Amino acid sequence: MPSDPLWYKDAVIYELHVRGFYDADGNGTGEFRGLTLKLDYLADLGVSAIWLLPFYPSPLRDDGYDISDYTNIHPAYGALDDFKMFLEEAHRRGLRVITELVLNHTSDQHPWFQEARSSRNNARRDWYVWSDLIERYKKARIIFTDTELSNWAWDPVSKSHYWHRFFSHQPDLNYDNPAVFEAVWGVMKFWLDLGVDGLRLDAVPYLVEREGTACENLPETHEVLKRLRRRVDEHFSEKMLLAEANQWPKDVRQYFGVGDECHMAFHFPLMPRMFMAIKLEDRKPIVDILRNTPEIPDVCQWGIFLRNHDELTLEMVTDEERDYMYDEFAPEKRAQLNLGIRRRLAPLMEGDRRRIELMNGLLMSMPGSPILYYGDEIGMGDNIYLGDRNGVRTPMQWSGGWNAGFSSADPEQLYSPIISNPVYGYQAINVESQRRYDHSLLSWMKRLIRLRKSTRVFGRGTMEILTPQNHRVLAYLRELGSERILMVCNLSSQAQAAELDLRRWKGSVPIEMFGSNLFPPIGDLPYLLTLGPYQFYWFRLRRL
Amino acid sequence: MAEISTVSEDFLRQLTAVGEVGILVGVPTFNNRDTIERVVSAIQVGLTKYFHRERCVLINPDGGSTDGTPEIFKNVSVQDFGMLLTASPLRTFHRVTAPYHGIPGKERALRSLFTAADLLRAKACAIFPPDSLSITPEWVDSLIRPVYREGFDLVSPAYQRRKFDGLLVRGLVSPMIGALYGRRLHEPVGSELGLSGRLACQFLQKDIWEQEMTTFGLEIWMATTAIVDDFRLCESFLGPKIQAAKQFGQDVAGTVRQVVGALFHCLDLHENFWKKREGSEALPLFGFQYNVALEPLRFNRRGILDTFRSHVEQLVPILESILTPQTLVEVRNVAQLADREFHYPDELWVRTIYEFAAAHHRAVINRNHLLQALPPLYRGWVSSFILENQKADAARVDQRIEALSREFERLKPYLVDRWDAGRGGER
Repeated sequence: MPSDPLWYKDAVIYELHVRGFYDADGNGTGEFRGLTLKLDYLADLGVSAIWLLPFYPSPLRDDGYDISDYTNIHPAYGALDDFKMFLEEAHRRGLRVITELVLNHTSDQHPWFQEARSSRNNARRDWYVWSDLIERYKKARIIFTDTELSNWAWDPVSKSHYWHRFFSHQPDLNYDNPAVFEAVWGVMKFWLDLGVDGLRLDAVPYLVEREGTACENLPETHEVLKRLRRRVDEHFSEKMLLAEANQWPKDVRQYFGVGDECHMAFHFPLMPRMFMAIKLEDRKPIVDILRNTPEIPDVCQWGIFLRNHDELTLEMVTDEERDYMYDEFAPEKRAQLNLGIRRRLAPLMEGDRRRIELMNGLLMSMPGSPILYYGDEIGMGDNIYLGDRNGVRTPMQWSGGWNAGFSSADPEQLYSPIISNPVYGYQAINVESQRRYDHSLLSWMKRLIRLRKSTRVFGRGTMEILTPQNHRVLAYLRELGSERILMVCNLSSQAQAAELDLRRWKGSVPIEMFGSNLFPPIGDLPYLLTLGPYQFYWFRLRRL
Repeated sequence: MAEISTVSEDFLRQLTAVGEVGILVGVPTFNNRDTIERVVSAIQVGLTKYFHRERCVLINPDGGSTDGTPEIFKNVSVQDFGMLLTASPLRTFHRVTAPYHGIPGKERALRSLFTAADLLRAKACAIFPPDSLSITPEWVDSLIRPVYREGFDLVSPAYQRRKFDGLLVRGLVSPMIGALYGRRLHEPVGSELGLSGRLACQFLQKDIWEQEMTTFGLEIWMATTAIVDDFRLCESFLGPKIQAAKQFGQDVAGTVRQVVGALFHCLDLHENFWKKREGSEALPLFGFQYNVALEPLRFNRRGILDTFRSHVEQLVPILESILTPQTLVEVRNVAQLADREFHYPDELWVRTIYEFAAAHHRAVINRNHLLQALPPLYRGWVSSFILENQKADAARVDQRIEALSREFERLKPYLVDRWDAGRGGER
């Protein structure tokens, strides 16, 4: 794999769960051997990195985010050797691998917690946060509002309360204890030594608690992350840390430090605003959030996404915006979960190919590294009748055959039912059928990713938002060195005209990137473009 | 469909950029720099608070202001919606300024707005004057919601009036429209208005835009046309209407001529409708009605009365052409009454107005001359009304107005008779 310390800045990341990708041994659950067999598909799709959801031993009460052994593989997904083989094969194809590091909490089944709860005098007692009173940290909000009433849970074994920001079966680690820091560093080193390229740091804002605060984004938390980063830099090169901090950009900005904390962080507030903009048919939500996004160090990068394994989170929106999103995207109450919407991209776009393309076009051209969620490249649907977020975690649909080509097991044996409704069912939506023709969503996505990767402008360039009078049209310019790319997007369901002030680039010729067609050169007059419903253009501006 | 040629290229360009909207709000201006900022802010907050999901445009047809009004209009911005207890807007707040050339006037401004409503396919529109001192964000909701949510086509304002405020409207225009058109509309000359996009389009198609309409005439024409064309009307309570202080008598003659002239003009236009219409009904009234203490209007009753007495005698030769002999005699008798006994009976007042309307229709004399003869008689009725209700409270005055309205309704057959009487017929 070519060496590049900033590889994550140009990456197109593909997020998947081993369990749901491909079942090679026919027991109904995907595993590393199956995933390895599908690496050619991912290489062909054009992505450059794979982000694996948790695959560690776990009671699986939170889809693997409740880890009971940090340095092993859940037996259902194979053995450590299977992982090593997968990693080697991925690297051989030029694919980097990002794994999960859940460092805020463990499962209550983890031996650390079992020891800690065994007695108040246990040596690991202080690895977690305990209290006889539940009055502590009252200002900390409850995150899983649908299931949890308090951030404290009663432990009947040691007859005390333990602190948890997520489910009550996920006790928070105590980072005030230096031993915890060293243990977590040991876990990181284990995976990085194996060759993992990046670690997604789960729920980083909540590492440290302090009385009288919201217990989020505390300076002490940043200090923990900086120390971990120093350790990584001392021992490794070309490794990446990705922060999951569902916060406002100004708060997330802190997780980059001065380039000495995390390399990447998700840009959560941008995501719902892309959905909002396309429904409102108005660029305002996107423009507002981008204008309120601070600059980040050159060596850092935003992680941007449309959908992921969780609900479409609406924490970073106003109450009015959240109501609007629910009414427009989740009128069926069942589609709502916590403060979000548990649906995939295609159903959210009502299966409208034009809107799906526009959303992906926005994703691939915004500042940051795009993250695709498995199955969205073929327009997979969801199942809101499954509990929690399982409706967006159903098996990958490879073909129209037995179990969607995912597994040879009996259908009853599958870890999750396959999507089988007439619109999004595997007979209609699958990889095999979409490989057959050039105009399928899958083929189009390949072209889009190829274009994205054809230049570093998207990953590293500056962004300037243009302001055509027509607010249904979003236009922006990405620039890196002498390279300029102009994006013009019609957010509306109707054809639109827009006049762009491009006089600064007078004499340049816009070359439409998908077809390499030359458009009329830019002159003194406003540059008039007409766009069909949800149409978008990417133009390379070339001075001929 | 709108005639695109009636709007300037720049206006059209701005409208093209806005595209289809749900709500269009218009604020016609002409040198209103002192008040425009407050009006635009109130509208913006109102739209954000009550219609934050809708696509809205605020349009400013300007008659050529030289005091920077359009620039202020464009740049007014609400800095902190949170302090105003409302969320920030979801959508872009579109603002369009549309200068028009020629004599500044409401008809040109409204034509621009209705054209924009048609081109942008607005579902609901509202029009606000640029100099309202009492506008609040709630007015936006009051005028637009009945259209946008309840399906009405025209929302007429209802105000809390001071005791003797608006007597021309309350004692003549409103009761006459109620009696003839069958809809009891309290403020047919109100300068705030809500209307549906389809009604705006209907207005555009009418053949009146090249005619000279007066400042007050357009509202009466719109209200009566909406009734005749069977659109759904309602009223919305806006609270007290605060205008720049003015004393009775300041160009009252001009106002009476314009307002009543417009009303008489509409009677001609809608003759086939109102003659067949019987009875009247109240309109649905939206909004929570409340009263605040308002400073009473001041009148120079002595001056009003003296003007009436002197003008009646001077105008006898003209009044002989307009009024029946009996009515003229009675009017002259009223003018002779001593101050303490002075009384212009409702029945006589209604007959006076109806005979003026019929004479106007038959053009017994030059219509301008005819309308000039009315203000003195109006002063007589005002004087009588004030004397009679000097000690009454505002509610009692409202009851008196209701009684007068019934009189207009009762005597409607008399108007029909006079209307159809030949030019040389019985007097």
